[in-house]
Amino acid sequence: MKMKKWVILLMTLVIGLSMALSGCSGGDKITIGSKDFSESMILGEIFSQLIENRTDLSVDRRLNLGGTFVCFEAIKKGEIDIYAEYTGTALTAQLDMDVISDPDEAYRVVSEEFENQFDITWLEPLGLNNTYAIAVSNEVYEEYGIETYSDLATVSENLVFGGGYEFHDRADGFDGLTELYGMKFKGDPVKMEISLKYQAIGNGDIDVTDAFATDGPIRKYNLKVLEDDKGFFPPYYASPLVRNETLENYPELKDLLNELGGVIDDPTMIELNYLVDVEGQSIDSVAKDFLKSKGLI
Amino acid sequence: MNMFSLTLEHMYIVFIAVAIAVVLGVFLGVIAYWIRYLDSIILWITEIIQTIPSLALLALLMIVFGLGNTTIIVGLVLYALMPIARNTYIGLQDVEPHLKDAARGMGMTKLQRLVKVELPLSFPLIFSGIKIATVNSLSVAVMGVLIGAGGLGFPVYRGIQTNSLTLILSGAIPVVLMALIFDYIMSRIERRLTLRASDGRK
Repeated sequence: MKMKKWVILLMTLVIGLSMALSGCSGGDKITIGSKDFSESMILGEIFSQLIENRTDLSVDRRLNLGGTFVCFEAIKKGEIDIYAEYTGTALTAQLDMDVISDPDEAYRVVSEEFENQFDITWLEPLGLNNTYAIAVSNEVYEEYGIETYSDLATVSENLVFGGGYEFHDRADGFDGLTELYGMKFKGDPVKMEISLKYQAIGNGDIDVTDAFATDGPIRKYNLKVLEDDKGFFPPYYASPLVRNETLENYPELKDLLNELGGVIDDPTMIELNYLVDVEGQSIDSVAKDFLKSKGLI
Repeated sequence: MNMFSLTLEHMYIVFIAVAIAVVLGVFLGVIAYWIRYLDSIILWITEIIQTIPSLALLALLMIVFGLGNTTIIVGLVLYALMPIARNTYIGLQDVEPHLKDAARGMGMTKLQRLVKVELPLSFPLIFSGIKIATVNSLSVAVMGVLIGAGGLGFPVYRGIQTNSLTLILSGAIPVVLMALIFDYIMSRIERRLTLRASDGRK
């Protein structure tokens, strides 16, 4: 008889405790990811703080994931709910489709394909177009006086190209670019970690690099971004990507994140990147200041 | 960012991974030693794994194990298999033939010979394999941040990305210190084990 009481007491305790614990780590949590560069992390942090301040949801941050492949696999698997992606990346790296140079058409195609193939929604574009760009050091710019990619092609045999790994692996990357413009750089192109290439061009180890149009260090190293006169690079407009399942569970997220639509244009993004990459401010405070200045939190 | 808790988490990830790798690696080494026609295949596979670039391996593992510490632990285990399995195999082979004969002469079974004679005598070499695996894992674990794991990878990668030497060092110094400390302690143990083993062989 006594034994039975103890068993019941113990069981209530265990059940109560497990309920309390599961309550703590409850379902009302979403995971936000980002790729491993500042802009993606800043956008991830902006989404996170917006959601934390304006909803009851708590956010688990998985910022700094290893590139497009990891983020995309993670969102398909439901390991993350939201991350910022670019239309150009989605077209060429994820959907394996041809480049579309019209921004609106590109957005329409990726939204439709992601909806059908992966159950993922593209929310409204944030405004920035972080397309690839080719930049040369200021010395090279002054020595050769080049303005466009076609100009660059005429002097490319004297210049060393160095760029990020991803740029060398994609259809709209190094191979396509050099083929279209007939560029032939000195020696083999140097492949390196994205963030090291600015240091390398600053040291004069390389002369030409791929850059993102919104990169903060372009300002720091006084690089010259050349003009894509044949329109080789597709548009890379950024949008928050959200799993449809997440939107069904928390419908309020859609309108909330759409408030960011068109708010972060190129100059704004360069500024945010500059504050983080060059001035060394924390992503956390840059995101917070930004949201406050726009009256979003 | 709390460096102390990141360091602890880093150590925890490496510790769990090496513990699993020791069990698996020694097992594979023993299998390679016992079943002769499997030895080159087993050692070859562990060596092939070493040649897969870490980020590629982690990205593939992420598809199966998801984001977080589990994936980096599995990755570290795979990388740690080679030094442990190979050293176990070589250690077992290098046990003096007359000692193996003596054990056999005493009527020991295959398993008894392994557990009571061969493994203890090859332990110094196995241990040095574990040491190599531990020190390696400490540095590879930094990559964990790329698949959402914890540890010291975050400050190191943020430092590289923002070109901040302070941030890089704040993550890298604890890794180097841990590597040096583990290497020092384990080398001392290793030397003592080797001395004792060579005494036993005289």
